[in-house]
Amino acid sequence: MSIKEFVASIPVNKVGFKDIFGYEKTPRNLILTVLTFGLLAMFAAGVGLYLLHGHHAYNVTREHPWGLLLAAYIFFVVSSTGLCIIGSLGDVFGFKDYELISKRAIFGSIVTILSGFAVILFEIGHPVTMVIYNVLTPGLTSAIWWMGTLYGLYLTFMIIEFVFLLKGDAKFAKYFGLVGLIIGLAAHSNLGAVFGFLNARPISNGVYFPMYFILTAFITGVFIAYLFMGFRYKLKFPERVKKMLTNLGKIQIFLLSFLAFFMTWKMLTDLYGGMPNRADVAHHILGSWTFWAEVILVIVIPLLVLLKDMGRSHVAMFYASFSGMAGIAFMRYNLIHDTQVKPLQMLKVYEYQLPPTWIHYSPSAAEWMISLGGIGLCITLYYLGTKFFNLDADEGHAEQKA
Amino acid sequence: MARYGMALDYKNCIDCKACESACKEENGVLLGADKHRIWVGTKEVEGEFPFLSISSSGFVPSQCQHCEAAPCQEVCPTNATYYDENGVVRVDADKCILCTYCMNACPYDARYVDDRTMTVDKCNFCSDTRLARGETTTACQNTCPTKVRTFGDLDDPYSEISELLRRRDHYSLKAHLGTKPKLFYLT
Repeated sequence: MSIKEFVASIPVNKVGFKDIFGYEKTPRNLILTVLTFGLLAMFAAGVGLYLLHGHHAYNVTREHPWGLLLAAYIFFVVSSTGLCIIGSLGDVFGFKDYELISKRAIFGSIVTILSGFAVILFEIGHPVTMVIYNVLTPGLTSAIWWMGTLYGLYLTFMIIEFVFLLKGDAKFAKYFGLVGLIIGLAAHSNLGAVFGFLNARPISNGVYFPMYFILTAFITGVFIAYLFMGFRYKLKFPERVKKMLTNLGKIQIFLLSFLAFFMTWKMLTDLYGGMPNRADVAHHILGSWTFWAEVILVIVIPLLVLLKDMGRSHVAMFYASFSGMAGIAFMRYNLIHDTQVKPLQMLKVYEYQLPPTWIHYSPSAAEWMISLGGIGLCITLYYLGTKFFNLDADEGHAEQKA
Repeated sequence: MARYGMALDYKNCIDCKACESACKEENGVLLGADKHRIWVGTKEVEGEFPFLSISSSGFVPSQCQHCEAAPCQEVCPTNATYYDENGVVRVDADKCILCTYCMNACPYDARYVDDRTMTVDKCNFCSDTRLARGETTTACQNTCPTKVRTFGDLDDPYSEISELLRRRDHYSLKAHLGTKPKLFYLT
């Protein structure tokens, strides 16, 4: 089969402009439409500000060079890796209960990483230079190089896997899915290593972040799975979806408990012994409201909902997943901010700045607009996907249909 | 090829800022407090008023440490940060993508963004200016009125810096990080 024939054989719905806007005009759908257009407009406005003012449109500084855009990028790629893991449960590992979400999750992983790339495109100062010199003079000791390169490769494999899923070719979907998953995990742990490799900043240095990134990706994937299924079935879940969500809920109980355990030990090791530049930063983190917002929204609320009846309150968990995702956004922002909050400056006391204190950062309008606009992109791409492709389990998942 | 380093007899520093001005002039560094390749740090006076330790007050000049194991070089995704033939840590502006990872990774906070090129910049021991012209000094060394700075080839046993380092006790900043800085503070 030639490539042209292969591409022509991919099942795609013939969708016109009318079909795209031909949805049920319920108040909820209309609000979502207005919200999405609003977010897309924000993205455009933010990009406009960036094009006019360059990096000066952002509130990043020499002391705090990474800002909200990087946090947003991490938010999206974590979501992508999480969805890849969820998608792989059925198609790669053969857990039958999860096959019904595989196609949707893999498509979601493509959509979220594309949104992440769209955001980071306006954070990197010279994206074209990046493409050229990433190839010509690769920095093989750089976690950013590996992260970016592997994510590019990962996206390719995810797209191929999705195509095979659409075609109902479970065998090839499994092969490409497995390789994509491995590359995705490698890419994502490298993203953790971007922080873990910072010897200059003891609060993040070490093996914690590469592993924590994978753990939180899985957690994010479960939250998004609830959101996907909630919207797909308008909270009236069929029995087989209920079964899958209950199982995912049980997995999430384990993952969230493990995260709490992980974070507790991270904090204790940070504080123990009072090591300079680590213990004081840990104290600072514990005193920040954003840290507690992260803990309450990601761990406490979802865990309470799940533990109430061991994951059987699917509707409640759908709403708790919004809390979880909001918390994950705090989690990413905290990660970015907390690693830079302690000044490195040595003795530049009163000539250039006030005596060294905590570094302050608050995102600019352009940063907010591009970051929130990324969510608009994500929703738009996902919605278009639901129109153009059949994201439900189909011939490829015959057993599920039975 | 040389292996350039700098010894700083920092207790001689009088905070006249001549080095900073000379650096900006020689290398065309933009004006502004946040755009600097070198700086003079001020040590706070220790003690509680009125029992202040005047002798604790002092000035500590600093800049890129030109580490032999530079974290900024390790983290650069495009190898825009590199060691030149003289062991000087340099930035190739053509390759810099402004990911600012090097700024985050540098333990000495020695980098800044040049607003003209929107790439990361820092001290390069006057490699583009004085060294390129065949001179063997840096602007900051040349202008210092109290001879705080001694610049030279660490591999040349007869160079002034090698002799100084043999003769005087010295330390490096954040040596525990293993970055092997080539700036030495004479005690």
